[in-house]
Amino acid sequence: MSGVHESPPPLTAAGEPISEAEAHRRLRQSEDQSLQYYAAWWLGKMRSQHPETIPLLLWALQQRQPREEGAGVEHNAVARNAARALGKVGDQRVVPELLAALADDDEGLREAAARALGELGATAAVLPLCGRLASGLEGAGACRPNSPKLQEPCEALIEALGDIGVADAVVLTTIAPFLDHERPLIRSAAARALLQLTGDPAWGEPLLTLLEHPQLQVRRAALMDLGAVGWRAALDPIRRTHAENSLKLIALRGLVEGGYGEPSTETLLEAMDDLL
Amino acid sequence: MTCSETFPSESQRRAQSRFLELVAAVDQADSAPQLLRTTRALADALESHRREATAEPPTGDALACLVRILGYNNPGAAVAAVDGLIAGGPSAVSALLEGLDDRNYGARAWAVRALAGIGDVRGLDLLEQALADDIGPSVRRAAASGMGTLRLDPLSAPQRAAVQERALQALQGARYDGEWVVRYAVAAALEKLALPPQPLEEGRDAAVSTLVTLADIEHEEVPVVRLRARLALTRLTAP
Repeated sequence: MSGVHESPPPLTAAGEPISEAEAHRRLRQSEDQSLQYYAAWWLGKMRSQHPETIPLLLWALQQRQPREEGAGVEHNAVARNAARALGKVGDQRVVPELLAALADDDEGLREAAARALGELGATAAVLPLCGRLASGLEGAGACRPNSPKLQEPCEALIEALGDIGVADAVVLTTIAPFLDHERPLIRSAAARALLQLTGDPAWGEPLLTLLEHPQLQVRRAALMDLGAVGWRAALDPIRRTHAENSLKLIALRGLVEGGYGEPSTETLLEAMDDLL
Repeated sequence: MTCSETFPSESQRRAQSRFLELVAAVDQADSAPQLLRTTRALADALESHRREATAEPPTGDALACLVRILGYNNPGAAVAAVDGLIAGGPSAVSALLEGLDDRNYGARAWAVRALAGIGDVRGLDLLEQALADDIGPSVRRAAASGMGTLRLDPLSAPQRAAVQERALQALQGARYDGEWVVRYAVAAALEKLALPPQPLEEGRDAAVSTLVTLADIEHEEVPVVRLRARLALTRLTAP
């Protein structure tokens, strides 16, 4: 512990606004993992730039604990939240530790690490990400016995490749088979990444098809993916799809901020006005 | 009593009995998809009723039925009901205000959306309250947007100025909302409040200065909000 002479104030319940110092203190203790969990989330959300933040998050990334049935706490909850926070804090120096987490036995931790690496735009992660996907539909993309999960967190791995943005042949050929995955959310992630990487509108078409999928959850995912790519040609299909206006607004924000060309920004803003 | 009430025309009678049938179908729905389908049919009937220029106001039964649906915790049906209530226009306002169950948060949130869409100033109290402290961002978003589309033409000049002042104050208060989409709606509503056909006479400068803050990267971190505020300023300052 650091040299605090006064007795520390009582740890308050999670959910309240806290200070950066309080978040550090919660993360540093390890008796109450729910406080660590909240503190890691908070530091990421605030994109804390304090010099203590990264060492503490890296320490938390090494914690392993079983899932607590009934307490609503996921497996390795603190480490997963630490990985997510490291992605948001935005310092490239943590890439080696996140790459190690990408090789962890825990699929949920690999997923969080992949997303963080994508957020950091870590080019060093491109080959390791491809490596985890290389076994394709029969390997990485296969269902696990007795679980809704796939062998690998394919959606996160593919999306990270799209976000990092290295469009070389290895990346494209690794992603392409997942366009035929049996799960629509994986197909959506693959089309999104290929559209991001190549800018080729042909990869937008599968996303437009998914906007007409009978399941709301799939239409929502396609909306988020189109927003993430900022593909402006999708304006009318986004308007037409059956989903909440809140999600259409998020997607259109993506078209305004991340896209270019036609339709114009003004047209997109007017479409957003109609959804308010 | 007017003649038309004593001797409704054949077409009016047909319209009213059609509404009663549609209401009965909603009341008999015994599954979520059926509720959605019957609500949509009733809302569509109100839409086409509104398009007939000479039509009488829709029946209170139809509107009260749609207000009840807002409380059923069926989002699809509630969306359809809100559409129908907006089509009902000012006649739907009393059904909404009377049928409002303060303890049912979901129903209140849908009612705010309907009132925002109708734009009747009798709903202004509820819109102000929702914009200031509703917990749902989509409800605050709808309330903000409704501030820009209040129907002011039936009002006298002093009433209009008073309503505009209240709407302006509510929007200025929401300019620091924590959700980008609410701030976006504030920018869009300020533009609508200040532009013809119901130009803001007093308080235009206040609207412009709020928009200037929303367009400023020092004060507003979300690009799409700044772009919307900039578009509003361009339109407001166009010759």
